[in-house]
Amino acid sequence: MRETVLIVDDHPSFRASARRMLEANGYAVVGELDNGDGVVAAVEKLNPEVVLLDVHLPDIDGFEVTRRLLDGNGATPQIVFVSSHDFTDLDEAVGASGARGFVAKSELSAEAISLLIR
Amino acid sequence: MGVAAFVVMLNGEHNVHRGAFAGLFLATGWGFVGVGLWVWKQRSAGNMGPLMVAVGLSAFVKGLVFSNDSVVFAIASVGEVLIYAVLIQLLLSFPSGRLETRLDRLLVTIAYVNTTVVQLGVFLFTDSKAGCASCPSNPLLIEHSQAEAVLSAAQLDISIALLGAVVAVLYRRWRSGTPGRARVFAPIVAVGGLAFLLLMAALIVEQAGLSSDISDAQTLALFASIACLPFAFLVGLLRSRFSEADAISALLAQLGEGGGRGALRDALADALGDPTLQLAYWVPGQDAYVDADGQAVRVDPAPAGKVSTIVEHEGERIAAIVHSPGLAEGRELVQTAGAAAGLTLRNERLDAELRAKVAELQASRLRIVQAGYEQRRRLERDLHDGAQQRLMALGIDLRMVRERIEHDPLGAAELLDESLHELNEATAELRELARGIHPSVLTNRGLHAALKGLASRSPVPVELLQTPTDRLPPSVESAVYFVVAEALTNAARYSRAQTVTVGVVRDNGHIDVEVSDDGVGGADADQGSGLRGLQDRVAALDGRLDLTSPQGLGTTLRAMIPCA
Repeated sequence: MRETVLIVDDHPSFRASARRMLEANGYAVVGELDNGDGVVAAVEKLNPEVVLLDVHLPDIDGFEVTRRLLDGNGATPQIVFVSSHDFTDLDEAVGASGARGFVAKSELSAEAISLLIR
Repeated sequence: MGVAAFVVMLNGEHNVHRGAFAGLFLATGWGFVGVGLWVWKQRSAGNMGPLMVAVGLSAFVKGLVFSNDSVVFAIASVGEVLIYAVLIQLLLSFPSGRLETRLDRLLVTIAYVNTTVVQLGVFLFTDSKAGCASCPSNPLLIEHSQAEAVLSAAQLDISIALLGAVVAVLYRRWRSGTPGRARVFAPIVAVGGLAFLLLMAALIVEQAGLSSDISDAQTLALFASIACLPFAFLVGLLRSRFSEADAISALLAQLGEGGGRGALRDALADALGDPTLQLAYWVPGQDAYVDADGQAVRVDPAPAGKVSTIVEHEGERIAAIVHSPGLAEGRELVQTAGAAAGLTLRNERLDAELRAKVAELQASRLRIVQAGYEQRRRLERDLHDGAQQRLMALGIDLRMVRERIEHDPLGAAELLDESLHELNEATAELRELARGIHPSVLTNRGLHAALKGLASRSPVPVELLQTPTDRLPPSVESAVYFVVAEALTNAARYSRAQTVTVGVVRDNGHIDVEVSDDGVGGADADQGSGLRGLQDRVAALDGRLDLTSPQGLGTTLRAMIPCA
C-alpha cells in the first residue's frame, strides 16, 4: 500500500518537482494546494497520511496550519515542513509544533521524508 | 462752484434761512474740499483725499436745490442726497481709504443705490409746487401720484436701517482694537456718529408722520455737525500718523533687541496690534511661502477672514504679512512696518528658506531610505519566489536524474530536459532582475545602447530622437535611464498611446530628458510611487522632474539634470 501525500506550497515549479520525486519513490500524491486556508478541508476530503507543508504560504503560515490540523477531531496526518529558508534556528519551534520535522527544499528527497515519518 | 452755490442760496426765494444755510453749506463744502485736497496731496491715505473732495462737491450740489432755475433745481433735487452716500463711504473707509470688509462694501452699495436710483424714482413722481408755492416746477415730473409716497417711504426705511448699521459698525471699530486705534477713531466716531444719529432722528420723526419734512432747525443742526466732520477727519488722520510713527519706532526698538526665531513675527504683531498676524517668507526656489519653521503658508488667496500684504525690499519680494482686514492702521502701515523690518526680514527669510530646504531634504532622504528598504524587500521576494524556487526544483530533479541514470537512462534524459527548461527560466528571471537593479548595458556600452534596448522591449513603438554620444557621469546616466524606463512603462500601461518619442539632449550644463506620448493624458504625478521615486532620484542630483499630462492631449515627462 503506497503512502498518500498532500503537497501544500505556493510555487508551482516546486510542487511539480516534488510530485515527480515522490511518485518515483512509491508515494501516491493525492492532492496539491497553493494556500494554507484550504488545508483542513482538503485533509478531511483526501485523508492523506502525510502533508508536505511549506512554512511560508501567502495567507497563513505552516505553524498555524499545523495548529488547526491538530486541533481538529478526525485522524491527523503526519506533517513534514519544507522551506527554502534556512530553518536551523527554528528547530525548537518545529519540535513544539507537533509536526514530524523539517526538510530544506534543497535537501528534499524520499529518503529524508521516510526518516521523519513512522 | 461753491461761490455759485452760495449766490444761488442767498437769492433762493424758497429758502427761509438764507444767510444761515448759505454760510453752513459754504463751510461744509469748502471744509471738505480744503481738507480733502491737503490729504490728497499727502498721498498717504489712499482715497481719503478724493473722497473728501467729493463730499465737499456734493454739499454744493445739495445747496443748489435752492436755485430758482427749474433745470438747476431738478439736477440738484436728484443729487441732493448723494452727499450721504459719499459720507458713508468716507466714514467706512477711514483711515486707509479702502473698504476692507464685505459688509462695508455692501453698505456703501446700498447707500449709492438709495441716493441715486431710488431718489430719481421719487423725484419723477414729485410735484415740487405742492406745499412750496415758491419752488420752481419739476421739469422731470411724470405724474404726481401714489408712487411718490410709496417710494419715499421705502427710501426712508432703507435710510434709517442703513444709518443705524453704519453707526454700529463705526462704534464697533472704535471699541475693538488697541488704545492707539481707539484714539484714531474717536473724533470720527464722535462727530460722524452724531451727524448720522441726528439724521436718523430726523428721518424717524418724518417716518412717524410728525413732520412732513425734515425741519429747517434739524437741518441746521445736522449740517453744523457735518461741517465739523472734515476737521474730525483731519485730527483722526494726524493721530493715525502719530500712531503709525509710534508703532514703527516701537517695532524698530524691538528689532534692535534681537531675539530668536519668531521674534520678528511677534514684534510685527505687537506693532500692528494684530496677535493673529502671520509672517510668510517667500522662497523663490520653491515658488512658495513658508513660515519661520519652513512650513508652507497660504498667502494668495489668503485664508478666510484674512488679507495678505506683500513686503518688498529693494524691489525684491521677500515676504508677505497675513493679517486681519480690519487692521485699523491699514495696509500702508503694514507695508511701512514690513519695509522698516526689511533687513531683518531678509535675514529671517534666508533662515526660513534654509529650514524649508532642510525639511524638504529630510523628507526626501526619508523617502529614499524607505524606497531603498522597499526595493530590497521586493528584490528578496522576487529572488525567493522566482529563481530560488526554480533552482530548488532543479535540485530535486537532478537528484532524481542521478538515481535513475543507470537503470532508466531514457527517463533520466526526460528529467534532464525538464531541468534545462527550469534552468533557462531561472536564468531569464535573474537577468530581468539584474537589469532592474542596474542595467549592465548602461555600464558597458552607454546610454544610447541602453535606451535602444529599452525602446526595443517597449510594447508601444518608440521613436528615439536624440541621445548624447559622450559618456555621462554614471549617476546621471542611470537617472536618465530610469526616467525613460518609467515613462515607457507608464505609457504602455495607462496611456493607450500609438507612439512615444524619447529625446535626451545635453545643453548648457544640463541634460534635458523628454519622453512624450500621444495617448489619453490625465496622468497624476502624485499617484503611484514610481514617479515619486524618480522625483527623489532626480532631486538627489539637483535636477527637477516635470509631468505635463492634460486630459486627452498626451503625456510628457521631462527631467532636467545638471551635468557639467
